[in-house]
Amino acid sequence: MAKQKEKMSPYYESVHRCGRIWTLGALSVLLSVPVAICLHFNAWPAFGDVGKALLKVLPIYWGTAVVEVLTYTPMLGAGGTYLAFVTGNITNLKMPCALNALENAKVRANSEEGEVISTISIGVSAITTTVIIAVGVLAFAPFLGRITDPSSVFSPAFTYVLPALFGALGAGYLRKHWKLSILPVLVGVLVLLLSPTMAVGTLLFITLIVSIGGALAMLKLKWG
Amino acid sequence: MDPNFKESGFMYALAAFVIGFVVIESVFFIVKAWKKGRALGLTKETLKNTVVSSAMFTIAPALSILATVIVLASALGIVLPWIRLSVIGNLAYETVASDTMLETMGSSLSTPITDPAQFGAVAWVMTLGTTFALVLVPIFCKGIHRKVGHVVNKSETSAKTADVLSAAAFIGIIAAFVARAIYGKTPDGVGDAGFMSIATLLTAVVASFLLELLCEKCRLTKLQPFAMPLAMFLAMGMAVLLNQVLPAELTGFTWWNQV
Repeated sequence: MAKQKEKMSPYYESVHRCGRIWTLGALSVLLSVPVAICLHFNAWPAFGDVGKALLKVLPIYWGTAVVEVLTYTPMLGAGGTYLAFVTGNITNLKMPCALNALENAKVRANSEEGEVISTISIGVSAITTTVIIAVGVLAFAPFLGRITDPSSVFSPAFTYVLPALFGALGAGYLRKHWKLSILPVLVGVLVLLLSPTMAVGTLLFITLIVSIGGALAMLKLKWG
Repeated sequence: MDPNFKESGFMYALAAFVIGFVVIESVFFIVKAWKKGRALGLTKETLKNTVVSSAMFTIAPALSILATVIVLASALGIVLPWIRLSVIGNLAYETVASDTMLETMGSSLSTPITDPAQFGAVAWVMTLGTTFALVLVPIFCKGIHRKVGHVVNKSETSAKTADVLSAAAFIGIIAAFVARAIYGKTPDGVGDAGFMSIATLLTAVVASFLLELLCEKCRLTKLQPFAMPLAMFLAMGMAVLLNQVLPAELTGFTWWNQV
């Protein structure tokens, strides 16, 4: 007899139903942008050129999409996943933001409380980003260009925003799970010694597997 | 054709439509989660802290995203990068996608686009590259979520194992970025690992430790949610300071460009 699927709570069922509708809506909205541009300006591109460019970028980005969906979905929760994949900037913003919120609220990522906190955090982050970009574009565009210009005094702050972000975020995990943290960082550095320009999407996949493998080994050996 | 077609009223209307959609979706999920959180017994303070600390956390990365909008604006105008980076897009992809399309047409990001057909081509490549995840998520999210829930709910031991594995997964992701700050090289050489990246990383780690310690010792519970974003801002400030006070030979040191 076919194994009966475990029932989800009504809240999760509702989140998945709404998430699917919103995601399909977002897909239509996104695809409408290039269509509207081409229709409005009555200027359709040479699709051969578009195809050539897509051949260069699609294998990387569609491959990354598969890895990202498999990697982030279990961590961000249902609502967080649907929102994060529509609003973008997952690795450099939505994911660390959700981690920080879960840490502060002291809730487990895979609990209903974690689901709530992760969703609120990603939603707030998406709105804040939208507001900052909108205000920046409308009011500060000429000014910001000077701030972020490589010759600006403030330029290093933006050049090194990722080490600042992941250093601050990693400190909490290093403190709590230092035994678990050493191996993936070491392996990451070793891989970069062999291939310094490796894309972060690929490197992330390696360190993730090493980290989970290390955790499983620690659980098996009852170490820590 | 109007030479300012990239920043025409039509483009702004398109931006308002797309960005409006994202904001409404975000509000919808926040309200839904908030109600569920209250029903689960989470306090208003916890939920409010989540809102405030998430907004604070977002400021610095959002400024970086804004900087990318400005960089792309020289070739694409301000509106298309604004649309792309407000929805689904990310810092790295939008730059690579637009540059690849422009290169195919014999142009580059440093040259403003004057042909609407080229503009449309860039919009297509930027869009088609990122939409695949939006096809995958509705298909697989529920199944993945069900599997994770099944493992977590099986027993107390399974729940603990799931927690450890979840922490390990987070650490795996953070480790990739920490490793890149220690020995990573970027394709354009901007932000290569070296003295500045390591100093910024260490400042962030130390500042985060010290702020957490301060919150614990002095029982500053209200400061605790902001310890992490504050540490991030301190590290960014340190990068600016070091760049000003230390000799260029040191601040310019990277593993590949030993000035």
